[in-house]
Amino acid sequence: MAKQYKVVHCTVNGKEIEQVVDVRSSLTDMLRNDLHLTSVKKGCEVGECGACTVIINGEGFNSCIYLAVWAEGKEIWTLEGLTGPGGELSDIQQAFVDEGAIQCGFCTPGFIMTSWEIVNSGKEYTDDELRKALSGHLCRCTGYENIFRAVKKTMLRHLGKYEEAELVNSQGITEYPEPMPFK
Amino acid sequence: MANQLLMAKSPEEAVAAKNASAVFVAGGTEVNRLGSDAAAAADTLISLKKCAGLKDIEEDAGFVTIGSMCTFQQLVESEKVPSYLKEAALFMASRTKRNMATIGGNIASKRSDSYIIPTLMAAGASMKLLTAGGKEVKTWVGEYIDEGDSDALIISVTVPKDMKVISKRYANTAQSHAVLTMSAALGEHGVRLDGAVKNVGLLHFCDLEATFREDPDVSEDKIIEMVRVCTGLHTADDMFGSDEYKRYLIAVTAYDLHKRITGKEV
Repeated sequence: MAKQYKVVHCTVNGKEIEQVVDVRSSLTDMLRNDLHLTSVKKGCEVGECGACTVIINGEGFNSCIYLAVWAEGKEIWTLEGLTGPGGELSDIQQAFVDEGAIQCGFCTPGFIMTSWEIVNSGKEYTDDELRKALSGHLCRCTGYENIFRAVKKTMLRHLGKYEEAELVNSQGITEYPEPMPFK
Repeated sequence: MANQLLMAKSPEEAVAAKNASAVFVAGGTEVNRLGSDAAAAADTLISLKKCAGLKDIEEDAGFVTIGSMCTFQQLVESEKVPSYLKEAALFMASRTKRNMATIGGNIASKRSDSYIIPTLMAAGASMKLLTAGGKEVKTWVGEYIDEGDSDALIISVTVPKDMKVISKRYANTAQSHAVLTMSAALGEHGVRLDGAVKNVGLLHFCDLEATFREDPDVSEDKIIEMVRVCTGLHTADDMFGSDEYKRYLIAVTAYDLHKRITGKEV
């Protein structure tokens, strides 16, 4: 074997794989070209737009600047891994649809992977923290409010706050009802 | 272009493999970028991901020692890391990038729009390096920036825990390259000012420090005029702003940081 190639063993979307990669390849290239996981988008290729985000060992990474050989022994999840066996959408994917958080759809897989990490963290993020947590992603259609709302509602539902999730208004702000006046 | 990758298992193995045509790769946010000069010029990439002992954060006698492979997100989340350094780490707005970028990698890349170097320089941070000959040496971050041995591997960075340091960063958006990042620290010898000026470099503003020492109540107009005519500052017009704009920004930021760190109203 030529020395610029290496064999990588890792788990992708719950499936163990063994793949020969060029040592210069990015994880984006391996996932798209070798494993045909095309939800991983090639956007800026400099780690700034977040379209290529995948989850590695539970944390979001820009796969375009992550060498494929670094994936050795890692557990990787892409958007394809979130759907059910019959192609059913996960709750975070469904929330993006329900809230109209999809326009051209190019940034969507990356946004959803980071959102998946957020909603499964078990932590209740404030609005400010949530915006900061999503700040590594660029939406060219600028539909940020809808994306923010989808993530916030799903986060609240994961925390069992179903009623509060329904109180999130179109601007993403939780509108609590006026308290009853004392009589 | 690089055609070999070495996954070094120890700092010693990494420095032994280093030569003029090899580059260290820490988190990868710099070297692995499309069109990166460092990757383009190198034949061999020496990955430090598997190097043992470079990811610890330890606190001792008022100082915090941070392993060079600690990511920005580790800095943000660690209780041991002083708040001024967390603030600088958060200048990198993208969490996915913070999960990758390392403190050592960001120092070694010496970018003129560095997120953390001005803060580390102002705080008087020191570093432990492992030279090509396998010798451990200690240096200041400022010294390393000026004349650092690029073949040496950064092992750790040590910062004071309770120092008062404040930083300011100017960029068009949270994701954009900063035209100016400046830090001020209050130490035994007064206020120290350091900055990163895009396309100019990493600078220690000793003339401004001397002016503030001589006259702590110096006017903002005097500082603006001083920086405007300064011949030692090699700013130029570029896509990040005009020469005049950069000089003005440096002056008003230095004035603002000095007032804030000495507890005076602006």
